[in-house]
Amino acid sequence: MRLRGIKRFHYARDVEEALSLLSAYQGRAALLAGGVDLARAARGDLEGLIDITGMGLSYVREEGGGLRIGATTTLTGILENKAAQGYLGGFFCEVLRQVAAPPLRNMATLGGAVVSAHPWADIPTALVALGAEVRWSDEKGEHRASVEELWQGQFRKIFRNAVLTEIRLPAWEGAFAFEKLSRSACDIALLNCACGLGIEDGKIAWARVAVGATPRRGRRLTWLEDFLVGNQPGEGLWREVRDRVEAQVEVSSDRRASGAWRKAVVGPLVARTLKRAAEKMGDA
Amino acid sequence: MKIYFELNGEQQYVDIEPGESLLSLLRRLGMKSVKQGCNTGDCGACTVLVDGRAVRSCITFAAKVRGRRVTTLEGLGSPGDLHPLQEAFLEAGAVQCGFCTPGMILTAYELLSKNDNPTPEEVRAAISGNLCRCTGYRKIVDAILLAAKWKREGRWR
Amino acid sequence: MEVVAERKRTSVVGKNVRKVDGVVLVCGRPKFTLDVDLPGTLVGKILHSPHAHAEIVSIDTSKAEALPGVACILHHGNVERIPYTTAGQGWPEPSPYDSFLFDRKVRFVGDRVAAVAAESEEVAEEALRLIRVEYKVLPAVFSPEEALADGAPVIHDEEDATGIHDAQHNIAAAVDIPVGDIERGFSESDVVVEATCEIPYSQHTPIEPHCTVAYFDEEGRLVIRTSTQVPFHVRRIVARALGLPMERIRVIKPRIGGGFGTKQEIVLEDVAAALALRTGRPVVMVYTREEEFVCARTRHPMRVRVKLGAKKDGTLHAIEMEATSNTGAYGAHALTVLSNVGSKTLPLYNKAPHLHFHGKAVYTNLPVAGAYRGYGATQGYFALEVAMDELAERLGMDPIELRLKNHIRAGETSPIFEKIGEGREGKPMVVRSCALEECLKVGAERIGWYEKRSRRRREGRWAYGVGMACAMQGSGITGIDMGAATILMNEDGSFRLLVGATDLGTGSDTILAQIAAEVLGVPVERIVVYSSDTDLTPFDVGAYASSTTYVSGTAVLKAAEEVRRQILEVAAGMLEEPPEDLELSGEQVVSKKTGKSVSLSEVGHQATYVVDQHQIAATASFVPPESPPPFTAFFCEVAVDTETGVVRVQRFVAAADCGVPIHPKLAEGQLEGAIVQGIGHALTEELLFSDKGRCLNANLFDYKIPSSLDVPHIEVVLVKSEEPTGPFGAKSIAEVGINGPLPAISNAIYHAVGVRLKRAPFTPERVLAALHRDG
Ligand SMILES: Cc1cc2nc3c(=O)[nH]c(=O)nc-3n(C[C@H](O)[C@H](O)[C@H](O)COP(=O)(O)OP(=O)(O)OC[C@H]3O[C@@H](n4cnc5c(N)ncnc54)[C@H](O)[C@@H]3O)c2cc1C
Ligand code: FES
Ligand code: FES
Repeated sequence: MRLRGIKRFHYARDVEEALSLLSAYQGRAALLAGGVDLARAARGDLEGLIDITGMGLSYVREEGGGLRIGATTTLTGILENKAAQGYLGGFFCEVLRQVAAPPLRNMATLGGAVVSAHPWADIPTALVALGAEVRWSDEKGEHRASVEELWQGQFRKIFRNAVLTEIRLPAWEGAFAFEKLSRSACDIALLNCACGLGIEDGKIAWARVAVGATPRRGRRLTWLEDFLVGNQPGEGLWREVRDRVEAQVEVSSDRRASGAWRKAVVGPLVARTLKRAAEKMGDA
Repeated sequence: MKIYFELNGEQQYVDIEPGESLLSLLRRLGMKSVKQGCNTGDCGACTVLVDGRAVRSCITFAAKVRGRRVTTLEGLGSPGDLHPLQEAFLEAGAVQCGFCTPGMILTAYELLSKNDNPTPEEVRAAISGNLCRCTGYRKIVDAILLAAKWKREGRWR
Repeated sequence: MEVVAERKRTSVVGKNVRKVDGVVLVCGRPKFTLDVDLPGTLVGKILHSPHAHAEIVSIDTSKAEALPGVACILHHGNVERIPYTTAGQGWPEPSPYDSFLFDRKVRFVGDRVAAVAAESEEVAEEALRLIRVEYKVLPAVFSPEEALADGAPVIHDEEDATGIHDAQHNIAAAVDIPVGDIERGFSESDVVVEATCEIPYSQHTPIEPHCTVAYFDEEGRLVIRTSTQVPFHVRRIVARALGLPMERIRVIKPRIGGGFGTKQEIVLEDVAAALALRTGRPVVMVYTREEEFVCARTRHPMRVRVKLGAKKDGTLHAIEMEATSNTGAYGAHALTVLSNVGSKTLPLYNKAPHLHFHGKAVYTNLPVAGAYRGYGATQGYFALEVAMDELAERLGMDPIELRLKNHIRAGETSPIFEKIGEGREGKPMVVRSCALEECLKVGAERIGWYEKRSRRRREGRWAYGVGMACAMQGSGITGIDMGAATILMNEDGSFRLLVGATDLGTGSDTILAQIAAEVLGVPVERIVVYSSDTDLTPFDVGAYASSTTYVSGTAVLKAAEEVRRQILEVAAGMLEEPPEDLELSGEQVVSKKTGKSVSLSEVGHQATYVVDQHQIAATASFVPPESPPPFTAFFCEVAVDTETGVVRVQRFVAAADCGVPIHPKLAEGQLEGAIVQGIGHALTEELLFSDKGRCLNANLFDYKIPSSLDVPHIEVVLVKSEEPTGPFGAKSIAEVGINGPLPAISNAIYHAVGVRLKRAPFTPERVLAALHRDG
């Protein structure tokens, strides 16, 4: 690989420098984190690359039961971090272990995953379910938004002139589970699901459900979350979930899987993910 | 542009193109053990160690290794002085065509540097991104488990 | 008997000696095609057709040629038009001469239009962008059905192609082999079953793509260093395609990164050589992974219908097999792969007196199929063994019982051996070794067949099942393919072994060295192997048709025996005893009578420097009069997620009879690797195309080959038999393993959930659809 047309490679020392370089290139430079996406899908119009992995944004910190993760932290960096391993009984690490393979996880950053936000990816689905919040800086200052808001807006445009700095995963009193269906063990998802549940007095107190790779990027099923609250977890409920999801979730075809198959399996997938989350609650 | 980095224990000060891949640089420097199977990060044949971590050199920009320590298979052992992992690959019959072998051994090296008593499942997970079309992986897993045993017995470097 | 006694005492054969190229490979030494850097090398790149079927109206290269750094551009307008085949097979090739270096027409998306040689890859790619081609787009066909329909566009309408069965109807090749009376056979049968199974486009995916360096030696001869399985065929075919005398070409095969059949094809060597000749400079060419998928070769997609008639007791009475093969845009291996669908499968069940094997290989406007491990047998066994499973069920018989009742035994024959050869009639042959019965027994035990078969296990949404299949292959191509070997003794008592045989990772250099070492009474380390160089090594057809151990191995054995004879003769003079009384072992020649001895190095010195000086050396050749089949019994256990259709292969057992394994670990490795490729066929591998014939997943991100986590626990057992015609009792093992997974997994799915999967791969989508339809 050789990205054609690249004239300069910069090592940004801090966010300010990265921003000023970005603006100097007027769109003809890109921020480079792990480079896993950038190097694969080479844009032909780039002249400058700005490495942002030396700006001190590689960290994982625990804060009030939640996590603050620097944007350039690699997936391996998260997996090897004690706080991350402990977060929600290891839920986020469980997701990351299913992302690509170790040498890619040594390179890929969480920030890159948020900015690329591949529709087929697992990380977005998990982040949506968790209600993650992201922070970024541009010339006007610091901004924050939930990942859901971010991805609903014109985020690609935002990150042409901004640096994503941090991803925050909130604390939850409950348990999360993640399931993915793919063609082989080491593959992107044909469909994935992340669910969280809080159970009080045998009843569901809160629920978070996100489905992704439909083939669209992970989204919450708020109608299902509302339905779940107040119900008692159990086979009957999971059956009901299955039917409702099958009837209501919008899926479609891409070259990896047909809409018909996605429709047939999305119900069981959501049901089994919820069931596992409920089981984890039981274990805890 | 010019960068400094350490390659198999030796300092290098080399000219690179800003858009050049680490794979291209390393092969230019004569490190022919670094193989190209896809150039898109999907096969693992180009895996090398940067600061002890396995990465895909085909999708790593050469400029990124400035000031870092790069290890290729050439840096692990040589015909007259095999590294135990290389011995184990021979012993277990883990090499057929040998094209995936450099990347496989380096990926295994990282695993064993963190965990010298992996389960077969952990070994399989560690090499899951390194494709081998010849062996069916079984003997590769055997080789890595054998090397782990040797490492626990102190036969390592 | 004497031979057997000798075999029992082997000291090198049958041992897991260190692979002769092992150390250089684990050290990553620069041994592969692209590991040399020659000064002044140009980079060659190919311009591919964007259309599935089109005439080239005009090509304008002026802009591209004006680009600084462009050395040369070739296309149909400036090269000679010579028809040839890209299939690397023995001469005369059974494949049609329907290919040209560059043609006026393109026949699939990815077909060659032009080639550029330039100072760098960047410049070459830029030049490709600057070539202006005007096409007249023609209607295209993407399936054999469309291609065979009345009024279908004719893909090979050129007049100078030869060897096409029926170009007007897009039929590259056809076979029709009746034995007995098939209709009577079915009417006399108590039970008749039928199964039609289909295999899509799949690709070998060697981790090293095709690559070649063409350059000139000091005398101006063309040297082609290339990743090939067939160096001698490369020399012959390139000579033909470029109209060059053969002695001007030298082909060298260094270490190569896997082949599996796709490198039995000349896909880059001809272009690289043409660019080198035109520019007078070295040219390097390498396929990108995308090109490897689309422009190299694939397995022949095929639909195979098998109809079986049997008596109540399970004895097969009639077998009909019909194959419709898609050869893609060119007919490489079209006839021979088609023939092997029947010739490598039907003899396995030789009890049926009535047989009919017929089929067609059809041109379409899709990528070109070619040789792929299994070579038609894989497609044939999928249908045959699924049909056998169905027959067993209909008869209320255990599938193993049904096989035992019908499979060929040592001392038996099949009319098919004589009827179907490699593109022509075959040779009658009696099977001399067959341990399939034992394989079935051992395999059944290991997997726990009878116990698991008797109850279907179900745990929640997971259903479990076991399935099995059998297969055989051959060992080389009878009466056609030749291998030769030269052995020379050095004065220090070491040897040089020169073989044309092609080690593509299989370990054949090691196995051939073992055979020589055994005969010459030395350890393998005393033998320097040099292989696959058309200037320096004797002829060998190359690595295909499971031939190396058996064919090239026998040539080595014969050469070694002759060298041994010469050594004993020299030693006889030194010891003053008759050669008959002498024995060669442990690097010594010892008298059985007197116990006196001389060392091999003394013999070497004597012959080289002292008395009656001469080079102790011999060359021997071997053309196999027979092709003894290896046999394998496959067993597997699967889990099916009934909610999603996901299939997991949990355990795989294969018991194989490859005669006496010369190197057991290498033999196991062949089997394990082949099984995993077969699992890929069964579960994930399929090239997808748009309705315009463009490949949609020509990358390893979306074409999934098995990773270490997809592979189940595989147990392989080598069940020994003694092949009397093989070197030290050996037969082949390289291909047979790929024939089992498709039917064994399909049969196991049936056992688990009661639906038959007949279209590969068994994706969650197909499995779930089948469950909803039939479950
Ligand atoms: C082979 C493969 C398999 C994969 N499998 C999975 C999978 O199974 N599941 C899954 O969820 N994901 C998967 N992924 C996606 C993977 O997680 C992302 O590609 C990766 O995290 C991107 O991170 P990066 O640091 O390499 O990004 P880069 O390539 O460095 O950057 C990606 C984009 O984001 C921009 N960018 C990066 N960081 C910032 C920042 N801090 N601020 C602003 N812009 C930024 C870059 O300019 C670029 O446009 C896979 C990817 C690959 C290549
Ligand atoms: S060449 Fe780098 S991953 Fe394949
Ligand atoms: S040994 Fe050939 S690819 Fe692994």
